[in-house]
Amino acid sequence: MQYLVDQIVSGIAVGAIYGLIAMGLALIYKSTGLANFAQGEMAMLIAYIAWTLAGLMPGHPWLVVGGALVASVVLGLAIERLIMRPMLGEPVFATVMVTIALAVILRAGAMLIWDPYPHALDIGIGRGVVMLGATGLREAQLAAILTLMAALAGFWAFFRYSRIGKAMRAVAADSRAAQLMGISAARIHAIAWTASAVIAGLAGIFFALLYDVSPNLYHVGLKSFPATILGGLDSVLGSGFGGVLIGVAENLAGGYLASSIKEIAGFIVIIAVLMIRPFGLFGERDIERV
Amino acid sequence: MRSGHFKESIPGLIMLSDSVPVWVWSGLLLVALALAPYAMNAYALSFLILILITGTGALGLHVLTGCTGLISLGHVGFLLLGAYAYAVPVAKFGLPPLLGFFFAGAVPALAGLVVGLPSLRLKGLYLAITTLAFAFIISHLIIEMSWLTDGTRGITVPRPRLLGLDFDSDARFANLCLLVAVLTLFAVLNLGRSRVGRALIAVRDNDIAARAMGINLEAYKLKAFLTSAFVTGIAGALFGIYLSFVSIEGFPFLMSIEALAILIVGGLGSALGTVLGTVFIVLLPEASRIAFGLLGSQAERLFSLGAHEIRSVLYGVVIILFLRFEPRGLLGLWHDVRRLWVNWPLRY
Repeated sequence: MQYLVDQIVSGIAVGAIYGLIAMGLALIYKSTGLANFAQGEMAMLIAYIAWTLAGLMPGHPWLVVGGALVASVVLGLAIERLIMRPMLGEPVFATVMVTIALAVILRAGAMLIWDPYPHALDIGIGRGVVMLGATGLREAQLAAILTLMAALAGFWAFFRYSRIGKAMRAVAADSRAAQLMGISAARIHAIAWTASAVIAGLAGIFFALLYDVSPNLYHVGLKSFPATILGGLDSVLGSGFGGVLIGVAENLAGGYLASSIKEIAGFIVIIAVLMIRPFGLFGERDIERV
Repeated sequence: MRSGHFKESIPGLIMLSDSVPVWVWSGLLLVALALAPYAMNAYALSFLILILITGTGALGLHVLTGCTGLISLGHVGFLLLGAYAYAVPVAKFGLPPLLGFFFAGAVPALAGLVVGLPSLRLKGLYLAITTLAFAFIISHLIIEMSWLTDGTRGITVPRPRLLGLDFDSDARFANLCLLVAVLTLFAVLNLGRSRVGRALIAVRDNDIAARAMGINLEAYKLKAFLTSAFVTGIAGALFGIYLSFVSIEGFPFLMSIEALAILIVGGLGSALGTVLGTVFIVLLPEASRIAFGLLGSQAERLFSLGAHEIRSVLYGVVIILFLRFEPRGLLGLWHDVRRLWVNWPLRY
């Protein structure tokens, strides 16, 4: 029984990271209508930047995190302005290929700039163990779960009450009508890319704290695809929940079946979900079937 | 351009080419490619073989993505399946290589049917994600089924002996690859002239209209997956033989990206463009290596250290640049050049 609880709890913790990245994916899909295949690579890049900052400023954990978040804002804005905005209005194939190309460039670029070996991100926090009943939980795991919950609540309120959130929903529903109402779609896109870069960066830092910084961090991005497909590609909050479900499913598959099933559990879920309910658990938009 | 040149029959209209010079030059190119391996040094020969094998695989993806408009990120999975479907019967059980080639086509084709099933319901993005998942599942399955595939250790594959002919030297093997590549090119070109090919193009351009015209979408999408996987599997088998060693590491995920880069660089939807794109993409790392060499030995050392990474970055940059500035690809450039050549000094 304790084993089951341990598996589920650590599944929720890693699922929170998938969920954060998946929320970024859904945010970009919702506002711009394209899937960003470079989401995991963005998380990887921010984790590397945090690692470099941690080497430069030992003993200032909050400076490191703050610097990394500033870097992620810059990254999100730069990608949107330099690469994605010129592709506005191009067919889906072209924009998807651009994000895939971006993913390949970021992945290889990180290996060229830094090195292909794993490093521990040690900023002096997040290493302690918190006991919840009989289950031990590392501080970084707890922080990831709390961040996901804060992000879920924050996005719920953002979409419901804030002016920009409502504008974002309007652009997602019908970008031309939204533009006629005086909303700048380009600015909404820029905000979506920035916000998703920031939450991807947070997820990258949490992952690096829990495991290590290595180029394989982009796998987290690949695993967040199942999360967002499960939750609904156009549902930001659903994607967050989807991440937790995928994390738990993966850990249970790894704990009770075989460790190699763990790696592909998410992908099997993708195929099952797409066959049965292609718009996900919380997604609204029905996919056009022909 | 050839004005006053009217077609009066359907066969004349859909001929591959009605120009005698095109046929003569293509024939001469074919003869030159068949004889070149015996005159080339080993280094140049390796590029020729790579171009031929990559071209075959890219034509496989062309049938699916270029003709039918279904995005696949999982073609490396078909390559892997083809390589293993050849290596396991031939190298482990000693079956004749011809049978191995049959398996190399048939096994991925069956897998293509399985992957194709979701495509009946999904489009664009969702299909890309499904095929991506397929590629990962395949490579994990191959590691899992180690009783059959030797898992991560890989299988050593000998050069084949087909119909009494030995293909043990690189030059002979290049001829085999040339034969396969030319047959594939002909098959793909002829596909475009046939009822099936036109149906596939109709599905790509507008699937609802295609269905209204009486095209059975399910059947044609599955046919596209089947054909594409078959051709890609053969290319995978050839690649495995060329490496003389089949393992998961020999087929990195980058190969899927490379194939898509070929289609985009060449010009999406054209077999000729795919050939041009293959030559460009295969020679790109070498060309940039030479360019780095001109910058000095320091730059060249850097290049040799991160060869795989620099190749990835190059593919990515090339994809973005072509999509941004020349979506018609190299074929579009070639058409521009041809028009300029014919019409100069007039503009049109």
